[in-house]
Amino acid sequence: MSIALTTTDVPPTVVRTHCPYCAFQCGTTLTVVHDSGLSPTIAGDDAFPVNNGRLCVKGWTASELLCHPDRLTTPLVRGPDDRLHPATWKAALDRIADAFRRARREYGADAIGLFGSGALTNEKAYLLGKFARVAVGTPHVDYNGRYCMSSAAAAGNKAFGIDRGLPFPVQDIPLAQVILIIGSNPADTLPPIAQWFEQQKARGGRLIVADPRRTPTAQSADLFLQLTPGSDLALANGLLFIVIEEQLLNLPFIRSRTNGFDAARRVALTYHPGRVEQLTGISEATLRKTARWLATADTAMILTGRGPEQQSKGVDTVLAFINFILAIGQIGRPGSGYGCLTGQGNGQGGREHGQKADQLPGYRLIEVDAHREHTARVWGVDPASLPRKGRSAYELLDSLGQPGGIRSLLVMGSNVAVASPHAGNILQRLQALDFLAVCDAFLNETAALADVVLPVTQWAEEDGTLTNFEGRVIRRRQVQAPPDGVRSDWEILCALAERLGYGDQFAFASAEDIFAELRVATAGGIADYAGISYDRIDAEQGVFWPCPTAEHPGTPRLFEQQFYHADEKARFHAVEHRPAGEEPDAEYPIYFTTGRYAEHYNSGVQTRKVGRLRQAKPAPRLQLHPELADHIGLIEPGYVQVASRRGVVMFEAEVTSTIRPDTVFAPFHYGGTAAANVLTQATLDPTSRMPEFKMAAVRVTAIPPTQESR
Amino acid sequence: MNRKHLAIIGNGMAAGRLLDDLARRGGLTGFHISVFGEEPHGCYNRILLNRLLAGGTVDDITLKPIEWYRDNGVTLHIGCRVTQVTTHSRRIRTADDREHEYDKLIFATGSVPRIPPLDGLHTADGRFKSGVVAYRNVVDAERMREWAQPGRSAIVIGGGLLGLEAAKGLADRGLSVTIVHQADILMNRQLDRFGGEYLRRAVAGLGITVRTGVVPQAILGEHAVEGLRCADGTLLPADLLVCACGIHPRSDLARDSNIPVNKGILVDDSLATAVEHVYAVGECAEHRGQVYGLVQPIYEQCAVLADVLTGTNVQARYTGTRLYTRLKVAGIAVASMGDIEAQQADDEVVQIMEENRGNYRKLIIRNGRLVGAVLVGDTAASAGLIRRLERGDPLPTNSLDLFATPERGVAMVSNDPICKCHNVTEQCIRNAMMAGCRSLQEVSEQTGAGTGCGSCRGQLAALLLKPNLIPASS
Repeated sequence: MSIALTTTDVPPTVVRTHCPYCAFQCGTTLTVVHDSGLSPTIAGDDAFPVNNGRLCVKGWTASELLCHPDRLTTPLVRGPDDRLHPATWKAALDRIADAFRRARREYGADAIGLFGSGALTNEKAYLLGKFARVAVGTPHVDYNGRYCMSSAAAAGNKAFGIDRGLPFPVQDIPLAQVILIIGSNPADTLPPIAQWFEQQKARGGRLIVADPRRTPTAQSADLFLQLTPGSDLALANGLLFIVIEEQLLNLPFIRSRTNGFDAARRVALTYHPGRVEQLTGISEATLRKTARWLATADTAMILTGRGPEQQSKGVDTVLAFINFILAIGQIGRPGSGYGCLTGQGNGQGGREHGQKADQLPGYRLIEVDAHREHTARVWGVDPASLPRKGRSAYELLDSLGQPGGIRSLLVMGSNVAVASPHAGNILQRLQALDFLAVCDAFLNETAALADVVLPVTQWAEEDGTLTNFEGRVIRRRQVQAPPDGVRSDWEILCALAERLGYGDQFAFASAEDIFAELRVATAGGIADYAGISYDRIDAEQGVFWPCPTAEHPGTPRLFEQQFYHADEKARFHAVEHRPAGEEPDAEYPIYFTTGRYAEHYNSGVQTRKVGRLRQAKPAPRLQLHPELADHIGLIEPGYVQVASRRGVVMFEAEVTSTIRPDTVFAPFHYGGTAAANVLTQATLDPTSRMPEFKMAAVRVTAIPPTQESR
Repeated sequence: MNRKHLAIIGNGMAAGRLLDDLARRGGLTGFHISVFGEEPHGCYNRILLNRLLAGGTVDDITLKPIEWYRDNGVTLHIGCRVTQVTTHSRRIRTADDREHEYDKLIFATGSVPRIPPLDGLHTADGRFKSGVVAYRNVVDAERMREWAQPGRSAIVIGGGLLGLEAAKGLADRGLSVTIVHQADILMNRQLDRFGGEYLRRAVAGLGITVRTGVVPQAILGEHAVEGLRCADGTLLPADLLVCACGIHPRSDLARDSNIPVNKGILVDDSLATAVEHVYAVGECAEHRGQVYGLVQPIYEQCAVLADVLTGTNVQARYTGTRLYTRLKVAGIAVASMGDIEAQQADDEVVQIMEENRGNYRKLIIRNGRLVGAVLVGDTAASAGLIRRLERGDPLPTNSLDLFATPERGVAMVSNDPICKCHNVTEQCIRNAMMAGCRSLQEVSEQTGAGTGCGSCRGQLAALLLKPNLIPASS
């Protein structure tokens, strides 16, 4: 612990920790000058082998939030005048406990919902799941990770029997001779990863990018596939057709290490290049080049992002790419494999420890009796008392205030009012609740609707672990004490559990204390953390799970020897292209897709408050092609109105030839009237329950310039 | 259990696709399904027959092995021809003299090859003369493979899609191949005069002889094929003669069962025939005067029919498909979509001919929308064009922009910084390059770009490689 005593001539303290934002979790060093009243200064941690000292513009400016004037430092409680007023912690916590007890009495425990986040540490995510199942007794706990990589996670479980974003360390990227990135723009979304792609290129490797936009990532590619939104699955099956036709399959690999190829092969037979051209807009020559490059290289890698995953066929789409990489046998060797580029800071760890409606800690499943028994034993409760599987994120939010739905909701670390698809609907649902409590460091769009708002610690003020996109468990270390009046999310959960009569099960003194229980709870599970300790993480620059014992070295690279199904083989899946939940038509003829700016993170609650980031990207701009701009008569600079069946948003126009003429793009980091998610639609993937953020049909019109705006 | 009985006559690509579409909608459990197929295999992908010619097995192109039907509770009658349908009592009779009842009946009988009226085509017992084959099914392909020995010569009658594929397959096996085509233009249903000419040259370049505007008249040879006599008196020697003159819908059974038939079995927008409980789908069906011989329309029809049959969407309607044809013969690329000639006085036609490179590209534009395109040689733009044609998207002011291939295109200069860490725009980098910076390091030192997170270094490198940014003097 590095909180120095407050004397004037104490030398500056330097603490190694990690950036608060994305799943890359860059190592940082923070320098605190005591008594200066200044935010700590941030530098990249040269010794952390993932970012090697590099940071992006978000990382460099992250400490600005610690002393931000908008920071909440006292609980807020809604008064009879319908406004939020400062309150004591006791009053605020009592109010939540009372509301939960009332909901339980009047409607049953199922009427209480808990909504977590991929930003929470492993300890908090674990405790939130336990709080739901033990202290509240509700099945309805889920988190915004459903909006993140849930489709890739489900596909990984189906194909490999395990879900770890990258099944290899990031150092494997330069070893790949060919990399195909589908629907991901890491140059903007995980910027410091660029060094690994640069090394790959320097070694003579080639990069292929498939995306409806020629993103900064695509601009550095050797081959760019500007595919039609929603056609990724057809692309993957089309590539499989070509390697079958050109006899580029790795038959020994297929025979010895996989099952189910025959069914996948037969489906692929109907994806001849002529048909795939029609579905994807990618020419046969380019399809063949892509397939040949990947299949004939010594090592090849396929990486997916939210593009293929945030679709109502997201799981099947990822499975189709896994089919392809299994068929060419490019997996389980250094420099080869399939990986998902996870988005949120703890998107990986957040999905492993039970804050998901169908899961228990260690990637155990709540519907499997043996898993329930193990978890119940660790928690000291009767297995029968554990709730069953609950509603997924969007379904949970869609049920708020509905008959049989959630009446009381606690949200931790997520701005659901901005981050959810069909945001207008979610706003109405939040307003229909009997009671809403939000834990956040800032009064975000969701917190503004709450009955109780609890101010929480930020990243540099707390301890804990996160699991980065490689499956490497790392330490978040406390740099400075939190401001007075602020508590950690886990302290809040413990205090509420005590009020609900479960103090014994939540008697934790520190994050490390919780981690000790997490280790026991995950022991023997797929995401086994039993052998990982804070000391080991410190000594080893992180530890890769699974790591079952203190002597086990951790598992940087999966699949070299076996896959994780009982027969140790990978599974092919016969998957078919199908239309999106909403396709363009005469009334709404344009594809609308969403994504990120390099300067902002998720719903922008944090980054929109940082001066430099706000100045760089103060508002969302709609990317549209010059042809479309001409067609709608846009005069630049100008504004456009974008309408979907669910709402209307006005954007400043950004005319660029980097986007398809039939597609427009807006970032989703903004709330209120600039919220891209007002337009998006919520068709869910049948397996992962991922909403279809990447596909909506819209109509775009130019707003005529008025006198004032001239 | 009181499931309705769904009978499908035919086990080709349409039947296979319909089964998949029914499965996706729960139709395999909702119905009891019987499939009547004449061939002794599960459903296979006919457009891949060339693989058999090249030495592949039936299994290589099989979409549904026999076990699939069993595993999915579908009763498959293989090697079983339906001889009679009695629609008023909803019964069908098969060649083995058995009767089956149905609640819903689907004709998916496909097509039969069109056989040209040649003298000497058949032997006395009515079978094809030895050495004559159609090119339609697995048996045809296997017979062709037997005959197709290196050094022999073959004539392919028909210079359409199928004929060209067959000719290429035979040429690849070392035969000397001549295509005899009655029309003046190869692929005359998909190409205009210029397109046909460019294609003829490309085909000739593969060592295949092409004779267009020639009417075949008689097959020479007592017991086996020895040659072909044409109407103009030409004699062409051959050991093998392949009939690839197109197909026509297989609608005899429907006609005999008093189901209205024109060219094909007449269906409405829900794929229903005029007779209650009877539907038709695929190549045997005629919809709004159109009979289709490509897979995409068949897939679209199957999706609608499955919606209607399962009640998933009883309002589903099929309204026709824009035709998109790709010749998939190695070494030759042809793409054709929509109209191939101007139809109206104010149709705009854009034609680009590159004689020496062998590229011919043509667009037909009506009211600012693309309505047709023909591409021979360089077909890179076709995938983008078909999307435009199908969606009816507005076109760029400069029609030639339609031929731009996105994987090679250059983005316009953006005002957004490339280096977000140091706020350096593309224009700054271009300026640095104009001022003499040639390497990534020089550009970085000059502008600061790429020295923060480093995520833009790939873009910087790409910019440095753009030749138009380097002054000509250097």
